Amino acid sequence: MNKLLLYCYIVILLLTTAFVVNGQTETVVPTATSSVTLPVAEQKDIKILKEKVANKVSELRKENNKAISGRIFETETGFFKIKTQKQEEYLVKLDDALTKYYRISGNQAKEVKKEDINKNDYIIINGVVHDKTVDANSIFIDEEYLVNSGKISQVNKDSYSLKVTTSSKEEFNLDIETSTKQMILNIKTLEIETTGFSKFKEGDTVHFVVKKTGETNKDNHYSVIKILIIPQEYFIK
Amino acid sequence: MKKETIVAIIMGLLLGGVVAFFLVTKTSEKELENSKAIAPTTTLNQEKAAVVTGYQTLEMSQPHDEEIVDKESISIAGKAEKDSLIVIQSPIKEVILNISNNSFQTDFPLALGENTIKIVAYPHNQLLRSQEKELRVYYLKNEL
Repeated sequence: MNKLLLYCYIVILLLTTAFVVNGQTETVVPTATSSVTLPVAEQKDIKILKEKVANKVSELRKENNKAISGRIFETETGFFKIKTQKQEEYLVKLDDALTKYYRISGNQAKEVKKEDINKNDYIIINGVVHDKTVDANSIFIDEEYLVNSGKISQVNKDSYSLKVTTSSKEEFNLDIETSTKQMILNIKTLEIETTGFSKFKEGDTVHFVVKKTGETNKDNHYSVIKILIIPQEYFIK
Repeated sequence: MKKETIVAIIMGLLLGGVVAFFLVTKTSEKELENSKAIAPTTTLNQEKAAVVTGYQTLEMSQPHDEEIVDKESISIAGKAEKDSLIVIQSPIKEVILNISNNSFQTDFPLALGENTIKIVAYPHNQLLRSQEKELRVYYLKNEL
């Protein structure tokens, strides 16, 4: 709140300074013919002051800037509504002049148009957050990943799938694909090594990464991107 | 019916009501006392407390959740129980640390955009449960 007041104060100060400067140029000039310029020293002071105010404003804006991510469930002219992974809803206000839009692909962010953003897209909003509203400065379309861990309760060797129960008793049905990066902890060296499906055992702990889409997934059924096995023998030794 | 009879009936009903209320209250009090006796003994609770005290819970000192950074890697640091196995995983990297004291620190790469980082501490002591934290770190270039 104090920062907001300070921000307002600086903006008012900047505006009044501009008016005062304008006023001075009009009243100080006694002759009708020439356009009067301020003394060099004063001009320098004003320039420095303006720079300081601009820096302070940018600094405050940066401090108030936060990032929120979530999936769009409503799109309207001028705003989006998103739901975060914690199931919190935010209203994302868009500004035609200010808000910029990007799509993240690998390690590149390519600028896109507002029309390229659709319902169900997962977005990161960089902007000023107050309560459940975000004034968006920039919006990034990104992928949503779920990183979790749990114990294997069932290994299905026919379908190459696992049933995993997390510490919060949530159950996941994980498909191990040929593209899945499978790793195991070497309990002697504590190094991570690549492995195959035969190494998965009931009772082992696994750390996995899956990609989430906007579609409903009732039984937590996912294709695994990468999975790391912590063999139960590690905990017994 | 005579007036006296009606008065007698009403008085009888009132008295019956008072007696019934008294009996119900007393019975529920007795039931409550009985259920109290079933609760775990104080010694058991003390033993549990002894296990919990002195245990270093997983604490993260950096990065902060929902932090925005402008660089490709960050330092992950925190505290956990001595001799724990720390597993740090994100969609692009996994790091395993076996800590000999109760603190840890490691450099960790970031992908552009959102980085969901899960940190799990498995204590060496089998009586202690594993603990986990999830952090969201945003790597957003300053010029964007």
